[in-house]
Amino acid sequence: MENITTPRFAVSDFIALTNQTLEYAYPSVEVEGEVASFKVNQNKYVFFDLKDADGSIGCFMTVWQLRIPIEDGMKVIVTATPKLTQWGKFSLTVRAVRPSGEGSLKKSFELLKAKLEKEGLFADERKRQLPYLPQNVAVISSVQAAGYADFMKIVNDRWGGLKFAVASVQVQGADAPDQMIRALRYFNSHEELPDVIVIVRGGGSADDLSAFNDEQLVREIAASRVPTLVGVGHETDTSLADMVADVRAATPSNAAHLLVPDRKEVIRDIRRSVRGLLPQIERTIEQRRSELQAIIEAAFLSIHRRYEQTYNTFDATKRVLAQLNPDNVLARGYALIRGSLSPGSIIEIEKSSILVKAEVKDVTEK
Amino acid sequence: MSQKNDDMSIAKKTEKLNELIAWFESDEFELEKALAMFSQAEKIAAEIEHDLQALKNDIEVVKARFDEL
Repeated sequence: MENITTPRFAVSDFIALTNQTLEYAYPSVEVEGEVASFKVNQNKYVFFDLKDADGSIGCFMTVWQLRIPIEDGMKVIVTATPKLTQWGKFSLTVRAVRPSGEGSLKKSFELLKAKLEKEGLFADERKRQLPYLPQNVAVISSVQAAGYADFMKIVNDRWGGLKFAVASVQVQGADAPDQMIRALRYFNSHEELPDVIVIVRGGGSADDLSAFNDEQLVREIAASRVPTLVGVGHETDTSLADMVADVRAATPSNAAHLLVPDRKEVIRDIRRSVRGLLPQIERTIEQRRSELQAIIEAAFLSIHRRYEQTYNTFDATKRVLAQLNPDNVLARGYALIRGSLSPGSIIEIEKSSILVKAEVKDVTEK
Repeated sequence: MSQKNDDMSIAKKTEKLNELIAWFESDEFELEKALAMFSQAEKIAAEIEHDLQALKNDIEVVKARFDEL
């Protein structure tokens, strides 16, 4: 009887059955604990223990699956499949690790930030400018999210006539980084590239925003052929995706402000420019009037000078003529004698006030 | 398509307006022509304003799925 109810297996078969059972019961589990004995072998395989006060489990994963830096003492949540190895050791085959708790999130953020900074990914020299007025804009966000709605509302208020292609993706949770990476690759693979790629997400907890600190996502943003604009969270939030972007916006609303000009401001500028032309015309008229005035004044001055000159010449001539007037000579005591100057003849002597008739008595040479 | 045409038209009108404004500052400025040029600038500015206010964005959510490998 006992042989019928008690199954018997070869060791490897039993291990396979156990793994089958485990896989059926727990195809995927999340386990939270503290990292211990963290090590990377051959730059490919990651080993660490996950422990709490009363237990410890060995964990295994590949380096490419490790999307955030971890170190001993950090509290993490692993997404994994339990497995019994062929040597009979129970372990977790980990697919993803994310920090747990504010302290670990911050620690992980700082570690990755330091690593990427050292590689120069945040350097100003890498930053490209956004086109002044992009015609084709790619947006990566969740169309259900408030941040996306804010962004599009402000963009639509500010400018029009642009073409937006929106990749709706998860912007939080374990799948979010991969979805955003696929969207980035999608837009970067087009023959006709968009003018800019915008990644936006509204505010949330540090855990909600942790997708934007994923190493592979950050590297994908850095590698984008198209200039990137990233606006994640509130003004006080900083993510590595923000830091690596060509242009960093404080919020999704700020991203809209940075992306397009405000048509109201443009209209105001146009009105101001056109209004500014009238004073230019008035200035020119005033200038011409002044020039004309100066010409008239110069002409008048010239005429006046000629008149003065003529008058002075005439005055001098008049004075010369006056000096030649015989009356003036007579007035100085001289006399005018008319008649023949021979003895016995009668002559007329004219003085200034009298006429005298006289007889010539004698004429002698002086 | 008409959105694109409208936008091109705004770009051209803006270029024309800028040329007109630059004329006022250039050596080619002639007082005799200034009022006519000003009227032209005013007309183009009004057209740009009208066009800008009428423009709408074209938003399309792409069909590709990003939640699958």
